[in-house]
Amino acid sequence: MSIVLTNLTKRFGRVLVVNNVSLSIPEGELFVLLGGSGSGKSTILRMIAGLTEVDSGRIELGGRDVTDLPPQARNVGFVFQNYSIFRHMTVAENVEFGLRIRGAPAAERQQRRDELLELVGLTGLGDRYSNQLSGGQQQRVALARALAYQPEVLLLDEPFGALDVKIRAQLRASLKEIQKRLGITTILVTHDQEEAFELADRIGLIERGSLIEVGTPQDLYYRPQTEYTAVFIGGGNVLVGRNVDNAISLGSVRLPFPEEAPVHEPGAPVRVMFRPETVVVKSSPDQMGQAHVLGRGRVIEQVFTGPARRMRLEIEGLQGVRPLVPPPAYGQLAAHIEALVPGSEAEAISSSAVGELWVGLTDYHVLAPTGPKILICSDGSAVDEAAAFGMRLARAAHGPATLLAVVPASGEVAAARARLESLIEQQGMQGHSQLVASVRQGIAHAEILTETQEGSYEMVVLGRSPDAAGRPLGIGTTGQEILAQARVPVMLVSSGRSTIERILICTAAGEPGKSDVLFGGRLARWTGAFATIFHVHAAGAPAHERTRSEKHLRQAQRSLEMLGVKSECAIGDGEPLRVILEKAEAGDYDLLVIGAPAPRVPQRFVWRDLATQIVAGTQRPVVVVPMQER
Amino acid sequence: MNDSLPRVRRRSAGSVLPVSLLLLVLLPLLLMPLAAIYIFAGSSGLAGFWEALRQPDAQFALRFSVLIAFATAIINGVLGTFAAYVLSKYRFRGREALLVIVNLPVAIPTVVVGTSLLLLWGPIGLLGRVLDPLGIQPMFMPAGVLLAHLFVTFPYMLGAVKPVLDELEVTYEEAAYTIGANRWQTFRFVILPALRGGLFAGTLLTFAHSLGEFGATVLVSGNLRLRTQTAPLYIFAQFEAGNIETANAVAAVLATLSFVLFLILQRFTQRVVERPS
Repeated sequence: MSIVLTNLTKRFGRVLVVNNVSLSIPEGELFVLLGGSGSGKSTILRMIAGLTEVDSGRIELGGRDVTDLPPQARNVGFVFQNYSIFRHMTVAENVEFGLRIRGAPAAERQQRRDELLELVGLTGLGDRYSNQLSGGQQQRVALARALAYQPEVLLLDEPFGALDVKIRAQLRASLKEIQKRLGITTILVTHDQEEAFELADRIGLIERGSLIEVGTPQDLYYRPQTEYTAVFIGGGNVLVGRNVDNAISLGSVRLPFPEEAPVHEPGAPVRVMFRPETVVVKSSPDQMGQAHVLGRGRVIEQVFTGPARRMRLEIEGLQGVRPLVPPPAYGQLAAHIEALVPGSEAEAISSSAVGELWVGLTDYHVLAPTGPKILICSDGSAVDEAAAFGMRLARAAHGPATLLAVVPASGEVAAARARLESLIEQQGMQGHSQLVASVRQGIAHAEILTETQEGSYEMVVLGRSPDAAGRPLGIGTTGQEILAQARVPVMLVSSGRSTIERILICTAAGEPGKSDVLFGGRLARWTGAFATIFHVHAAGAPAHERTRSEKHLRQAQRSLEMLGVKSECAIGDGEPLRVILEKAEAGDYDLLVIGAPAPRVPQRFVWRDLATQIVAGTQRPVVVVPMQER
Repeated sequence: MNDSLPRVRRRSAGSVLPVSLLLLVLLPLLLMPLAAIYIFAGSSGLAGFWEALRQPDAQFALRFSVLIAFATAIINGVLGTFAAYVLSKYRFRGREALLVIVNLPVAIPTVVVGTSLLLLWGPIGLLGRVLDPLGIQPMFMPAGVLLAHLFVTFPYMLGAVKPVLDELEVTYEEAAYTIGANRWQTFRFVILPALRGGLFAGTLLTFAHSLGEFGATVLVSGNLRLRTQTAPLYIFAQFEAGNIETANAVAAVLATLSFVLFLILQRFTQRVVERPS
């Protein structure tokens, strides 16, 4: 029978244990839920069995909705980590229990019991009690007992967790064989990767209640979609490069994008993952063969593991590349990578030229780019339009977001948290895996800036409350501080729009920017909006300036095309502030994007002025993008 | 081999002094009084012993005591198991308080229990005031004795069964549920058999305590011969009347009965301990 889970959610008190899990397991599959302790994997299994109630979501077994049925009515076989063999019953009585409850005649019970004892390899032990059996044998009894009444699905909760390594291996082999022979749909929960790899047709990786990724063991090992999978499964190397001219740039190394690699925006970070055994270490560059050369390296550390040697290498060419895994040590200059070199080769390397090694890759994989990470700052009002708008944006962009409130005193934390929860509920986003609420205590702008840095957010969404002078469209001191200091785009919202369909990207006057166009393009890509790139010529601008900006606009449009964003160009003449505001009104744009020079650029006041004036001059949401320094 | 090591040491010559000192203390404290019962009971010969036991009052007292003990053991066996199940398996408001309350009878002097029962059920008691005119009056009746014994012995069953239930993993029940057993079937076929040891020990303890209960019984029974007089009350009454031999004969029977129960209990708990779980 197939197993289908739809938006399964469970909370224990305030803790979200299972977060919106949807999963479909076809008939006959052996599916492994893999995750650390406390990840919620057992809770999912218990919900399927009916041992834990479901908060929301649906469970179907063989097309039958069993969400609200008691465990007795679900016809599942469940095997516990602690065996839970009935101590006062013999092995035979244990196995027959399910049939006895169902009122099966004695002859049938005996026949079935003998079949099952044979199946699990316990023939002749029917008269024993559990205290006369080893742990492995007890678990075999538990398996036989769970299979006796021919359940539709078999659920195993860390079944081999309490057994020693050797017995575990034997039992795994038995389980796999039995499962294949009976063709029973099975879910096994484990924290043991090796077990998951050995048994699973497919693996589902669970982390903090969310199903991170589902795939065959090979998929998860060689072609993980997420960073978490790459890190959790097998020892891996993950380096962050950049997409430069359609190649992955890692320091001075260039790697081509593999064919199956997900599309990356130009200039976007690219996370490259490779397994230690795909790293080739040779004593000269000519021996590299088909491998992609990373460059010269040296061995930092090596461990003999029997068949192979595990090495930690430092590569010259990877200077300045940010490694995610292995995590960099403090003060480390170049990225370190883990390599697994076959014993014979390792011997050859160490005997030849010392310190002069060449490192290459036979295979690597590119992780899917994630959505933007957005920090949404709540202004403390009950109907928080900025927060609501930010959440809608985060949902559209499929990126992680944090809804943040800053309170001056610790006594207000609980109230603020409750308010955030209700804001999330207003948006119908409770239980949304990527949205978390957070309350900090302190001075608003300082806390927001700290959170922005600590959480490495890509954008801050800020509400605009009336300023001291009572002007409804002022920025306020908090907003000013954040605009002046934040290194990431800041979105200022006074009244949110329900959808973002049209974005006006203002390159304004003077030196045309690139980061504002690219960020505006990313916003358009996340939201599926149409972008207008708008440039304003100051009155009486010389002709050569016009041609230059036209060229810039064409380039900008091409960049947006690369991102898959539909766009148009427009040029205005006159005083920038007035022209931009008129354009925004005329086109009824949902969002304005404007570049502002980085704080350290001397002319900041002039520029900041234009940005703030635009913000003050319109009710529409505005994104102020800090220009990257060159 | 390692196991026998401490045993060898205990048998060494050094143990003579502490062991004899202990015996010296225990002799007048425990052993001699116990012996005295039997010595006095047999002091006028076997004939006198039988004669004393054949008296209708003595016969009634012994039979009544055993009957009450049986009833107490059965009723508290069921109630105590139920209480243990609820207190062990469910988490609810006031559970801690309830745990203290149900164990309270161990701490309260039995005479106080008797008094409080009289103040509740007696002719001028809180409930008695209303029930007495209706002809319902458990005090100074066998029912009153039963009530007192139920009160006093309630914690014993709980104390024997609850630890076993606490030890029983939740998955034990859950396994039964997933296999298809409903709540009753799970209780009947899975939980109850697992409680066998606790049930047996608890029932026996309750029985033994009921057999010897004096303080509460003397107040609620009114000590009416051939109606509410239990064996301990009979012994006390005969002593007061100066019939020491009669008193001793019944005391010897009661003591023997208690010894036997105690030995069974001892054997049983030993078997449970020896059996690895």
